[in-house]
Amino acid sequence: MEALTRNLNSTILRVGSVLAGLVFWHFLATTVINDTTFLVSPIVVVATGYEMLFVNGELYPHLFASSWIFFYGFLLAIVAGVPLGFLMALSQIVRDYVNPWMTTLYTTPRIAFAPVLLLWFGVGGGAKVSIVFLGCVFPILINSYYGMRVVNREYVELARSFRLNSRALFFKILLPASVPFVLAGVRLAIGRGLTGVAIAEWFGATEGLGYLIFFAGQTLNIPTLFVGVAVFAALGIFGFEVVRRVEAYATPWKTDARGS
Amino acid sequence: MFKKEIVRGAISISVGVVIWEILTRLLLENELLIPPPSSVLRTFWTLAASGKLNKHFEATLIEFAYGFSTACTLGIIIGYFMGMYKWFDEIMDPWIATLYSIPVIAIVPLIIIWFGIGMLSKIIVVFKITVVAIILNTAAGIKNLDPVWLELAQSLRLTGWQTTYKIRFPGALPYIITGMRLGVGRALLAVVVAELMASNAGLGYLLRDSSETWDSPKLFVTVILLAVIGLVSFNLIKRLEQRMAPWRQSAEWSSEA
Repeated sequence: MEALTRNLNSTILRVGSVLAGLVFWHFLATTVINDTTFLVSPIVVVATGYEMLFVNGELYPHLFASSWIFFYGFLLAIVAGVPLGFLMALSQIVRDYVNPWMTTLYTTPRIAFAPVLLLWFGVGGGAKVSIVFLGCVFPILINSYYGMRVVNREYVELARSFRLNSRALFFKILLPASVPFVLAGVRLAIGRGLTGVAIAEWFGATEGLGYLIFFAGQTLNIPTLFVGVAVFAALGIFGFEVVRRVEAYATPWKTDARGS
Repeated sequence: MFKKEIVRGAISISVGVVIWEILTRLLLENELLIPPPSSVLRTFWTLAASGKLNKHFEATLIEFAYGFSTACTLGIIIGYFMGMYKWFDEIMDPWIATLYSIPVIAIVPLIIIWFGIGMLSKIIVVFKITVVAIILNTAAGIKNLDPVWLELAQSLRLTGWQTTYKIRFPGALPYIITGMRLGVGRALLAVVVAELMASNAGLGYLLRDSSETWDSPKLFVTVILLAVIGLVSFNLIKRLEQRMAPWRQSAEWSSEA
């Protein structure tokens, strides 16, 4: 009973906080600022979103354009990042030679590469996919590497005492043990990949969510800008949730699949 | 063993640069696509000598410093209250979650409309990016404090202020620094993005300027400079983290969202 009351209290506080914020926003927009090129009421944002989604369907071409870029970049990042991460974990030499490059590329703000990649690949899909790829690949690579490095020694010793050959050791012990880490990397990569999509679409795109936001910003179309931002946030939450489900399914032995 | 790592790293980098130089000299007549390292270096020298580079560097640094320090101050205070009081946590949580899930880039146009193209908008962008990580980590640090320490504080009859100052804050410090580390990388990205969109100074401006005028050597100078800044700030924070919280092994430099 007490727990129930506490739960109820918590829900009331949360809902109240959101409602109060929205009401405050509404009045700030309609009475204090009262300038639609600056801030619009949440009601207008919702109406615009509804219109773009269900009435004139303006949003869909942008959504599809962005999804393809994201999908390819993300897939490439997994295909390249996971094996390289494993290789780095298993071989000292590969690790030592790759590490300085990886650290440098990883810590550089990704946006810096965008103009360079554009120079190389042109304004077509290649540059965009590679920008997304650059954003996604490092969390995946680093987590794959780390996952395979920290495999519990006891498992490896057990495998040794069963005289597993190195192939079986890899497939039966090392690979399954690093799955949670790889998935954590994939989860982190989603947010970075979405940012990458937005960056990519700034430079010479004619459609896509990033383009939508950028264009709306330049033409002071605040409702559309808000809708674009909201769609981005929703996509991020959605992708995060999908990976969390996959995580719970693929690693049932981990009771807390939420991670950090 | 540690030595071998460094030697191999150095070999890897220098061989890469030499191959780059040779390939660009042999294969490309036009410096537009990939300028050779020597030409990048020359451009760097000219830019640095003319004081242009300094100006842009300084602008970015100031924006970063203001935004980051404000975020640290406010973030720690808000995070502290969120860790201390459950009701405050519940009121703030939905907003912070929303703020967190909005990609950096998406919010930049909005901030530029609201705060103009000057330095203020960039400071706000840096603030927004860093503050969430610091708030969440500070709150987690305060919440996860070992109850034994609080009992100790009680048995020592510490006042509320003393408990905060002597027990809670140092206890949460490693978390706070982790939050700062996570913030730094993202803030660097954000400040460059904001400058790229609309500004008249800063490294992001230089990036845009050189890419729009097809000045590849200058573009590469900027990119490499940004890489160096990223690397240095990352290592500085990592050092700080090891220094302030040596008991915590920070192997996971993966968790930068």
